[in-house]
Amino acid sequence: MIQISDLSLAAGNFRIDHLNLELQEGVFNILLGPTGSGKTLLLESVIGLRPLKKGRLVLGGKEIQDLPPEKRGIAYLPQDLALFPHLTVRENLDYGLRAQGRISAEDENHLGLLIEALKIGHLLERYPQGLSGGEKQRTALGRALAASPRLILLDEPLSALDPSLKSEIQQLLLSLQRTLGFTALYVTHDLEEAYLLGDTIAVLIDGRIEQRGRRQDVFLRPKTAKVARFLGFRNLFSGEVRPLGPGREGVTIAIWGKEVILPKEQAAEDFAPGEKVILYLRPEEVLVLREGKPIKEALRPNILEGNVIRTLDRGIYQWVLFKPFGQDMDGLEIHLPNYVFRNLSIREGQPIRVAMRKESFWVIPENRK
Amino acid sequence: MSFLKTSVWAAFLLFSFYAALILSLLTAFEGKRFWEILLSPDTLFSIRLSLTTATLSTFLAVSFGLPAAYALSRKNFFGKKVVDTILELPLIMSPVALGAALLIFFNTRSGEAIQSRGILFVFEFPGIVLAQFATIAGLATRLMKTALDEITPRYEAVARSLGSSAWQAFWRITFPLAFRGLLSAGILCWAKAVGEFGATITLSGTMAFKTEAMPTAIFMALASANIPKTVILILILAGIGLSALYAVRLLDRRPRAL
Repeated sequence: MIQISDLSLAAGNFRIDHLNLELQEGVFNILLGPTGSGKTLLLESVIGLRPLKKGRLVLGGKEIQDLPPEKRGIAYLPQDLALFPHLTVRENLDYGLRAQGRISAEDENHLGLLIEALKIGHLLERYPQGLSGGEKQRTALGRALAASPRLILLDEPLSALDPSLKSEIQQLLLSLQRTLGFTALYVTHDLEEAYLLGDTIAVLIDGRIEQRGRRQDVFLRPKTAKVARFLGFRNLFSGEVRPLGPGREGVTIAIWGKEVILPKEQAAEDFAPGEKVILYLRPEEVLVLREGKPIKEALRPNILEGNVIRTLDRGIYQWVLFKPFGQDMDGLEIHLPNYVFRNLSIREGQPIRVAMRKESFWVIPENRK
Repeated sequence: MSFLKTSVWAAFLLFSFYAALILSLLTAFEGKRFWEILLSPDTLFSIRLSLTTATLSTFLAVSFGLPAAYALSRKNFFGKKVVDTILELPLIMSPVALGAALLIFFNTRSGEAIQSRGILFVFEFPGIVLAQFATIAGLATRLMKTALDEITPRYEAVARSLGSSAWQAFWRITFPLAFRGLLSAGILCWAKAVGEFGATITLSGTMAFKTEAMPTAIFMALASANIPKTVILILILAGIGLSALYAVRLLDRRPRAL
């Protein structure tokens, strides 16, 4: 286990205060956050390039916060890769081993396996400036892994790549990680990349870890409005918790002039009556009802009538903006499969009825610090 | 006339100005006396003295300037802007004023204490080295800082994460990558030190076969109205300086590792 405890540091006006984060060993830990959230600052402090004001870093049961970078056993792969241009690929790869004075047969063997796995055996005598983007990525990855570090920190290394190369390197990263079992802390602001690579994801916003957990939990069940907004959630509506009737279970939210009763599992935490909350509605879970077709009993309480304001062809689905009659709101986004959109012949200005399954709601506390 | 053509004309006029200055020297050039003056003991002494002192002062300027340039390039520290400004002082201050300041310093208690402990500067060989050092150290630091600024600190960060100490990361990564820039800085400073006159003559005087470096020898030849010798000494000095500058251009033309 790698632990970051009560970490505080500052750079100019930006501060990180009392940050706690646990990283799991042998997996891809993702640090996800928007630009300017403090990701690189946190990374630099873990590497040892930036002094801490306060806090403990524990790696492999040993406190490392007072050690210089070269004694921490943490390899760093920056965004621009920083391959040493005056050294050949081979010299780049074994730089760490030579710097640490390690020339054992075991190390040589490990390096050989790495070269084979990365398919860079034919590049060893070349210099970085003669390599393609993908070859540079492979070399930088090999250099970081050659000395078997206890942790490898990757600072958005794929952000400048074109989509096909990015996908290729992501697959390579995944397969290498599964084969070698190294522990990685991967920093990114790319949601898709975070979901693809992340075994665990920590969301850092404004210098605070807003949420940490399995990727499904973070992406499907954000715990704060900040996380939901950062993840691109659009259907966020303010509501208020109401008392539950006697003998009933779950949470009742007053919204759109009605009371929506949801199962307890659809709420991020326990809420008290009167508490202000944000209700998130998954756009792909909203049903557009066909006229004349019978409606399931369970859906009846959660039906809204209104107009289609706008539609947009997003290629793999149709985006529909729906505004309920008599509601003061910007609109409800709905994602419809192309065939449903076609079958219902939906047009802008058309009145429709929509139904929301209880499972498509998620309740988040409002303005929680 | 287009902007580009105007700028080309400006460059050509500047070139013509300096070319005319050099060509005007040839009007007083006595080719037959060239080897005689060049190989005379006093000229050879001046050349030797200039080359030796310039090499020593450049060595000292680079030795002190490189760590200073590294600190200014890589670190933010209290008073950095003040240090940076003071380092530029020799670039804007008259060399005579710099020499006078050194001379006055050696008349203070601290200066006299230094001289009384065996290192004589005033009117001595070490004085020439010190005067040249004072003139070029700021420039050397500024130029080397520019060379180091071109090398991203991330190289060192990666090297350190792989197991190199700060010292090893500098020598194995940053220094080789910045080497051409640092060497260019050294050559330019050396050329400036060879031609340094104001501070040198103020601190070390004009004693033949003792402190008469090349620029001082030119001044003395001109003062005694020996124009042919003046011209030949100027051409020798210009030859040394231009060779150094050409070496810098050659370094720039070589393909870069970056």
